[in-house]
Amino acid sequence: MKSFWIYYQKEMTEASRTYKWIWVPAIFLLLGIMQPVSTYYLPEILSMAGEVPPEAAALFTVPSAESVMASTLGQFNIIGLLVLVLAGMNTVAGERSTGTAELVLARSVSTIPMMTAKWAAMITLMVVSFALGLGGAAYYTYQLIGPLDWAAVTGGAGLYAVWLAWIVTLLLPLGAILRGPAAAFISLAVAGALSLLSSLLPSHVQWSPGRLGGMAAEQILGSGSISWSPILVAILIMAVSIIVAARLLRRSPLSPQS
Amino acid sequence: MDININWGLIWPIIALQAILAVTGFISLYKAEPASIRGSKWMWVFIILLGNILGSVAYFVAGRREA
Repeated sequence: MKSFWIYYQKEMTEASRTYKWIWVPAIFLLLGIMQPVSTYYLPEILSMAGEVPPEAAALFTVPSAESVMASTLGQFNIIGLLVLVLAGMNTVAGERSTGTAELVLARSVSTIPMMTAKWAAMITLMVVSFALGLGGAAYYTYQLIGPLDWAAVTGGAGLYAVWLAWIVTLLLPLGAILRGPAAAFISLAVAGALSLLSSLLPSHVQWSPGRLGGMAAEQILGSGSISWSPILVAILIMAVSIIVAARLLRRSPLSPQS
Repeated sequence: MDININWGLIWPIIALQAILAVTGFISLYKAEPASIRGSKWMWVFIILLGNILGSVAYFVAGRREA
């Protein structure tokens, strides 16, 4: 437990030295604020562009507060996920390519606390950034568009946090065998494939963690029920990923290129 | 064309963009030239012109791992 805290503090220091604690939350907050603001000003933006006849612009109705929040999740899914994965891709792979991992593992230490600390640090950054972003979106939506069902938003946010968490966790085992960019690409590809699969064949993959993103949006929209199996599968994936990553790192502390 | 823009809504967006850009510049200024991929001036322009994505590109791809 003591070594966990040492590694955790080291990861936090490293994240703030590489400015991750500024740019990741800032981007989530920007994405979150821009969605309600640009929806609110869409008629003005359309008329300023000049190509739309004023009658058509007048037909535009401001969408409901719930659907603005759901489309904010859509924004997080594209840029937010990309940013999180790119920010986290070198947590393991970077230490292998710089030789830090080999240095640490020269002593016979367990890699489990090290991996768990890396995971905890990544998740801390993710949760803080996502909470800021969604909080910003909720505040602006509330002020500009209308009241929200706070219980539904909180429930959706929880589901969405699990969705982000398991994808980011995939970076640990992938980073232990691949270089950073390859690990980032594969974890994004897995997330995309699973989420596509669950929207194409919803009845066949009830348990798939790919459903979590859609489930979060439905929750905010006030329809749909929470099913627990995707959440359990996501938690299982996270636990297995951390253990596998710890084993793999012990076996291959060095990057193939260095 | 009279468009009523409530600047109270817009300034946080501008401020966040500025925070991202300024953080990028501080990090560029402090960095050893050898630890930056490409020239520093190239990244200054990318951060200035690329808005959010320019800053993201710098933070993700601009620096070599020390």
